[in-house]
Amino acid sequence: MKNLLPVIQSEFRHFFRSPFKTVSLVLFIGVAVYGLQNGYDLFKKHNAEIAAIKTKNAESVKKIESWFNEGKKGPEDRPWIDITTPFWAIWNAPSSAFHAPSPLMPFTIGQAEQFGYYKQVTNWSTTFDSDLAEEIANPERLTTGTLDFSFVILYLLPVLVIVLLFNIGGLEKDLGFDRLIQVNSMSQKKWLLARFAFYFLVLVMVILVLMLPYAILTGAFQNEFSTFIKLFLYFTLYTLLWFSVFYFINLSGKGSANQALKMVAVWLLFCIVLPGTFHQIASLKYPSSYMTNYIDANREESKKLWELPDDTIRNRLLVLYPKLKETKHGKDTLIDEEILGNSSSALVNDLMKKTALTIENNNEEKNRFIRNSFWINPVSFFQNKINSLADNDYYAYKEFRVHIQAMIDKKIDILLFDCWNKETINKGKYLQYIENFK
Amino acid sequence: MIQIILNEWKILLRVRVLAYLTLFFIAGLTLVTWLGVIQNNNQQEQQQAAQKHVREQWENIDAMNPHGAAHYGSYAFKPITPLSSIDEGVNAITGNVLRLEGHVQNEIVYSEASQSLSVSKFGKLKPSLLLQYVIPLLLIFIAFASVSSEKETGRLKLLVFQGASLPKLILAKALSVWFYGLFLLVITVAVQTLINLKNTGAGNIERTFFLLLAYGAYYYTVVTLAVYFSARLKNNTAALSSMLAVWIIWTIFLPKIWGNTTDKLYPLPSRQEFKTAMKEDRSKGIDGHNPSDKREEELKQKVLAEYKVDSVENLPINFDGIVMQADEEYGNQVWDKHFGKNYDILRKQKNMYQLSGIFNPFVSLQSTSMGFSGSDMLHHLDFLQQAEQYRRVLIKSLNDKHAYGGSKTGDWSWEADNAFFKSIKDFEYKSPVFATALNQNLIDILCLAFWVVLATVIVALSASKIKLV
Repeated sequence: MKNLLPVIQSEFRHFFRSPFKTVSLVLFIGVAVYGLQNGYDLFKKHNAEIAAIKTKNAESVKKIESWFNEGKKGPEDRPWIDITTPFWAIWNAPSSAFHAPSPLMPFTIGQAEQFGYYKQVTNWSTTFDSDLAEEIANPERLTTGTLDFSFVILYLLPVLVIVLLFNIGGLEKDLGFDRLIQVNSMSQKKWLLARFAFYFLVLVMVILVLMLPYAILTGAFQNEFSTFIKLFLYFTLYTLLWFSVFYFINLSGKGSANQALKMVAVWLLFCIVLPGTFHQIASLKYPSSYMTNYIDANREESKKLWELPDDTIRNRLLVLYPKLKETKHGKDTLIDEEILGNSSSALVNDLMKKTALTIENNNEEKNRFIRNSFWINPVSFFQNKINSLADNDYYAYKEFRVHIQAMIDKKIDILLFDCWNKETINKGKYLQYIENFK
Repeated sequence: MIQIILNEWKILLRVRVLAYLTLFFIAGLTLVTWLGVIQNNNQQEQQQAAQKHVREQWENIDAMNPHGAAHYGSYAFKPITPLSSIDEGVNAITGNVLRLEGHVQNEIVYSEASQSLSVSKFGKLKPSLLLQYVIPLLLIFIAFASVSSEKETGRLKLLVFQGASLPKLILAKALSVWFYGLFLLVITVAVQTLINLKNTGAGNIERTFFLLLAYGAYYYTVVTLAVYFSARLKNNTAALSSMLAVWIIWTIFLPKIWGNTTDKLYPLPSRQEFKTAMKEDRSKGIDGHNPSDKREEELKQKVLAEYKVDSVENLPINFDGIVMQADEEYGNQVWDKHFGKNYDILRKQKNMYQLSGIFNPFVSLQSTSMGFSGSDMLHHLDFLQQAEQYRRVLIKSLNDKHAYGGSKTGDWSWEADNAFFKSIKDFEYKSPVFATALNQNLIDILCLAFWVVLATVIVALSASKIKLV
């Protein structure tokens, strides 16, 4: 330790005397702040959009409430609407599903730009509806990718580390006084380690200092402290990984240029070539789906359901919802076509759920393949791990689809039982619907 | 100059590491190109199978009310161009499936990126990934010491004293490395052409030639600057680190930063804003399903006068079909306004992005690579517009059949027969001709040409001032 401190102190001086390195660090900090701000902007944008939809929904509810207050059954130009029936009351009870942005979004936007984060849910909805598509964006920009903080850490931090470390030990070899260091009391390994430790500590501190203000700004520090710490630890571990690889390169390096070449080659391999290779293999094994099974279910199979005789529809509904037998219409021997018509979304929903499961399973197979590559593809591992902590990886949006499906199921459940019980809807019951669908 | 190039090649050939690296890159590029073609063909098969499947369903409609068929709709599946095996551009990000139906212009959905975990931020390992990111780096590594090592050994001074012109020397050294880059490029294109012979149709040859040209121009710029830095800067390390800094700024920083900037300069509406605005405009038109609509009444009076009858029941045609088509035509104006506005913004963003080629040739390379591979945003928009055009023709045919096919107003049970549905042509996407791609990428080509000239001028004008030791 006595010997290490002077090495770290001299490294400190070396760093501040090297304009190339200090400028690189300053540039890195600038780009990191830019990335953080991008993530924070997206966080604010998502929250604002969600707030706007909630306001719009509240306005719709107020309009329907006013119909109840005025004794109207619906708009004058649409006489077929009757909000005192469960079907129309539920149809006019706006309910939206939201995937609220995580307060950790400034640190990684993950796959947030590839998925929709809000959806109007009706009894006819499915989890693969087109209104669940991603936000409107320039596809070329999405292909290039947004410069967010995770990109800065995962891809640019190693580059900065190369800039900081490529001549550590290499310069001495270039100038031919490396042997001079070896004749000193400290071993070359420890000497290199001490110099590396200085940069490692500087970078970890920089990452923490950069993260803190945004964590406080979004509430992540106060409300998601443990996740925030986990995220920071992942960033630290990732930085350590690169330092370890570069340590061994420099230990056996033959000079600055030689070390730089090897470092850049490793960066290229782990950041560009390996992820690209597994991406390509995954696409070869699991080509992009054209969702024909979903299209078939949505169009052909649903059409067949519509063509079924009333008693078959009724029997199928009773199999799916046995408790319907206890309702007024369930006890009736006569079939009410309107009630059956209003209930048919339950059969379609059941069909679509089965199809959605097949799609999810196919996607899961591809994901399993991707996950199995993580041991050799660490950058993708860290990328997905970080996205997962910030709740914007594939699985976060899968969870969102599960949540949407639960909302659809609930809507259909209430619709069926209220229709079959021939309920008359008043303002109180309508507001109860709104509460239920929140 | 030729002698210097030949000498440089002799020296390069003597470097054993480079020989191994060359073999590795030839094998790598061949493999990656081959895998790219296989993946492309797989995807193309899937796309064709999906299109065939949906078409079969359409042709198997026994009898259906035409308006029912408009709701039943059809689908357009985004095709893959043969050259997207080199550069898949935006294909993984954009959706693949577009629903074509009555009353509405839908958006394309189900992108590949939304079907799995995130894998690579730089895209799949296609030839473009190697040619845009890896090969230029390799060329930098070959070129960075080409003059500085001569300086360090004192050979440069000797060469100049023997009468060699320094600008010529730098250019010759740059050209010798450039030829090496071209060699790898030609191998990639040759392998792609050989494996994909059946798809080498008209237009693709020109597109491939321009791809070669664009990559060639970019490599020339990178190599010339690397050799220039090698001559201009103090030592190997300074030359390498400077050129690496340029590479990082060009390929990693600027494309992302400028992409975000164009997005902020020309902001797109959110999906919610877009849909609300369309819904509002749409509600001002005829609602085909709403008989009490005032505008429908005006149309009714016009048609009654035309057929000289006093009620729709007495019309020899089905008035509902006419209403539906009027509704469609109004809707089309609304879609044109709002989708058109978005497309305009996207084009403005693209133009702005292309202009950044003035200070970043990598952007021009990326843009031309996607553009000539037929996988850029403009080709994507072209697909969307052709599909929408088809939707309009399809729905008009159905509405016309509803109106003039033999049914009477109010008869929603009337059905057109199978022969009618079979007679409607399937959607067939025609990729833009080469001239269109050339026109769309003119800015990029000019920017690349500008960089070639600039790099040459820099060497020609300032090389003579370079210190020899």
